[in-house]
Amino acid sequence: MSFLNLTLGQFLTLFVAAGGVAFVLYLLDRSRRKVVVPTLRFWTAAEQPTAVVRRKTVSQPWSLLLQLLGIFFLLLAIAQLRWGAFAGKPRDHILLLDTSAWMNARAPNATAPKLSNQPRRSLMDLARRQAALYLRELPGSDRVMLVRVDALATPATPFLSDKIALLQAITDSKPGSTALDLGQALAFAKRTQQLSPNRAGDIVYAGPGRIIQTDEAVPTVRNLRVLPVPDAIANCGIRHVGLRRSRDDSTVWEVYASVRNYGTQPKIETIAIGFGGAPAGAQQLTLPPNADREATFTLRTHAAGLLDVRLSPTDDFPDDNRATLEIPAVNGLTVTVYSDAPDALRPFFGANSRVSAIFKPTAAFNPETTGLVILDHFRPATMPKIDSVWIDPPTIGSPVPIRTHVDKPEALRWSSDQPIAAGLRTKDARPDSATVFEAAPSDLKIAEIGQGPVLVARRTDDGHRLVVLGFHPASAGMRYQLATPLLIGNILRWLAPDAFRSLDLSASSAGTVNAELDAAPQPDSIHVIRADGQQLPFTLNGRSLHFFSGTPGIVRVIAGSHESVYSLSLPGMWTTRWTIPANARRGPPALREKLDNPRDLWQFLALLGAACFLAEWMIFGRMNRLLRRPIAAVSGRLKKAS
Amino acid sequence: MTASEPLLDRHFLERLERLTIHWQRSFSGLVGGHNASRFSGGGQEFLDHRNFHHGDDLRAVNWRAYLRLDKLFLKMFQIEPRVPVHLLLDTSASMTAGTGSKFEMARKVAASLCYVGLVRLDTIAVQPFSSTLGEGKVAGGGRHRFQPVMEYLQKIEANGASNFDLVVREFIHSTPQRGLVIILSDFMDDRDCLRPLQYLSDYGHELLLMQIYAEEDRTPPWNGELELVDAETHAEVRLQFDDQAREQYTKAFDEYSAALQQLAVRNGGRFACVSTATSLEDVIFDSLVRTRGIA
Repeated sequence: MSFLNLTLGQFLTLFVAAGGVAFVLYLLDRSRRKVVVPTLRFWTAAEQPTAVVRRKTVSQPWSLLLQLLGIFFLLLAIAQLRWGAFAGKPRDHILLLDTSAWMNARAPNATAPKLSNQPRRSLMDLARRQAALYLRELPGSDRVMLVRVDALATPATPFLSDKIALLQAITDSKPGSTALDLGQALAFAKRTQQLSPNRAGDIVYAGPGRIIQTDEAVPTVRNLRVLPVPDAIANCGIRHVGLRRSRDDSTVWEVYASVRNYGTQPKIETIAIGFGGAPAGAQQLTLPPNADREATFTLRTHAAGLLDVRLSPTDDFPDDNRATLEIPAVNGLTVTVYSDAPDALRPFFGANSRVSAIFKPTAAFNPETTGLVILDHFRPATMPKIDSVWIDPPTIGSPVPIRTHVDKPEALRWSSDQPIAAGLRTKDARPDSATVFEAAPSDLKIAEIGQGPVLVARRTDDGHRLVVLGFHPASAGMRYQLATPLLIGNILRWLAPDAFRSLDLSASSAGTVNAELDAAPQPDSIHVIRADGQQLPFTLNGRSLHFFSGTPGIVRVIAGSHESVYSLSLPGMWTTRWTIPANARRGPPALREKLDNPRDLWQFLALLGAACFLAEWMIFGRMNRLLRRPIAAVSGRLKKAS
Repeated sequence: MTASEPLLDRHFLERLERLTIHWQRSFSGLVGGHNASRFSGGGQEFLDHRNFHHGDDLRAVNWRAYLRLDKLFLKMFQIEPRVPVHLLLDTSASMTAGTGSKFEMARKVAASLCYVGLVRLDTIAVQPFSSTLGEGKVAGGGRHRFQPVMEYLQKIEANGASNFDLVVREFIHSTPQRGLVIILSDFMDDRDCLRPLQYLSDYGHELLLMQIYAEEDRTPPWNGELELVDAETHAEVRLQFDDQAREQYTKAFDEYSAALQQLAVRNGGRFACVSTATSLEDVIFDSLVRTRGIA
């Protein structure tokens, strides 16, 4: 037994003072009363012997006792008398409520409501109920912090003793999209309790304990309590869907889907894909317990649209039975070649499926041409407003001033740090003749001979790019060089990088995403962008790129000439089941624990005090007079009527 | 109740229009017994018009109005210039003693009875009294004369000591015409008021006694040592009061009420004893109707 608000001395002082006041008031109340009456004629009949009782005598001891008891109980309630051992400061508990994606699964049949018209409860409902039950058993002065845990531990409330606010926060908790990282959550809870000024209470985890395996083990917590949620559910789900454009045909997509059986019984599932609402393929998979199976499909389309991957039959966790990916349209590069000798250039553009070349004579030059234009020994009357490649332009009107012409030049020297010269190492490339340009300081000198640059690239003021070659790539000295098609390829890739960017699409789960890049690019050239344009932070370890997205959505990873689109539409799934430590307590506090905890009695004491005052009022107070009046009136009326 | 607030509301007045004040005796010089033949038909003093109904005396039709409006109106005449109903209202200090609003109840009952009489074209004289008979007000001539009566009743204040002996004597001297005398009082006179009332009845008046009491007048709620002050005489008594004394007090009160009732009934009158805890509706439509004071 202990007082929370007052010391024993304060309580006794207050009780003696209030009791004394009540006693004095009682004596005054029972003293002689002066009453004005209509007549004295009836009073003489009722007059008693004149031996008046002394004023200081307690004429109604039970009335006084009830009043003193009422004051006593009310003062005890104000002092917050508590049952149990005095334990000093209240405790701070941390309630970790599992809000991982798995909590959206429907509860096992045994816990389903009996009425068939009610929807089956989810694991989240069960966890909420467990958390609310635990909260109800805590003493009123203990504080609780609610933390919603999935891949991240997110505090939903500060340390609160307001159970209504805590219950509301529990009710507002909803399953997220990521898997549970319990180790991180427990570490967070430990740190938070250490920082709290009050005594450390329980660290409570409410959930089924399905966690994602991480490098770090789940830390051991001494004061751990687990509110288990049963989840004996047979589930099969899509783990990953990948799309890659075929290398042979840019209109063909190769679809790869990985399916896992999380249950303990083998299952036969059908995985089907659909594009734009139309079925595009299906396969039947036999899934052993706790094993993955893959299915591949081929999809041919030019158009953009949604690829829908479905797994049937659906189970109690339907979130991972469907994945959706957005396929972009195939954007090829249109190259218009103005040349009076097109045959020499045709082989350079026919080898790449992403390039469609149109050959036109120089006389048919159209300044409204779109895409990329190649001008072979030709200068149009008006400069093109698009990206352009100039092959050996005429002296007058060249976009880059010409310094001189050289016959039989020496071997070309390549600036290998420039992307256009990437991979060009040969020293055997000797064009028949070469035009040497007067390059501006901002120009990129791709190839040079002793007299100066013969291949120059430039970014114009209006945002376009142009490449000027001082030699013909199909000339006798260059035609049979392996460097020539590579040079043309590099030029096209530099002028139109989007058309040559390789694209991977994949559907996976939100949370931490690991992306394997083709090469190890510079971090500056990597962009991880959400659909709303927001840049996401990432880490790069060699060719492995890691980023985190806590919510579903589309994330694009652009690394050099490669782009990966991650459609984070699948739920984050657990990989293993957490083994509850042997020292952890399970379920809400037992009766013995509750008795150990100090328990508030002020509600009952306040009721007792009020009951004492009410009884006093009913037996000795005005209510007695009020009740007596109508009864007397009725009896009098009856008497008169008779 | 504030001064501007009327004693009776419109809804209650509409309910009162169905009632009639009854008396049983035949008074000399008046149409006796009941109120059925208030109109002589021959008419002496014009009172009002009303619509003609089949069976009405054609001699009372206002033919001038018929010629002008093409509609039959009947002229009504008052044939009772004398006062058949006297309403004596106790305004002594005892009516305001304690927490009960006896005086308020008495004024409301008086107003109600006046309205009932006016609707039936009776003439009612309201006279306040305490130690002496006060200056009264005569009400008659239809319901449109009710407003002055109500204003008069609202202005009356209670004070002084009651003296039934003197009041009855004055009343008999000032009112030779016999009639129905309605007395609204708590009858809390230290002197014996039964004898004056008997004298009033012996003189020829028909009595309708209405005793108005507060609950604490009949069952005092107090306990312990009491210092009692008479509201009218200011005499003081100290005594010890308990449940046993309370029973004796109530018994004495009931015996007094029974004596009043006996006096009224014995002389062909009526008696009603109403508590201030009773609503005005119950007083008029229950207590007074049961005693056949009104019907």
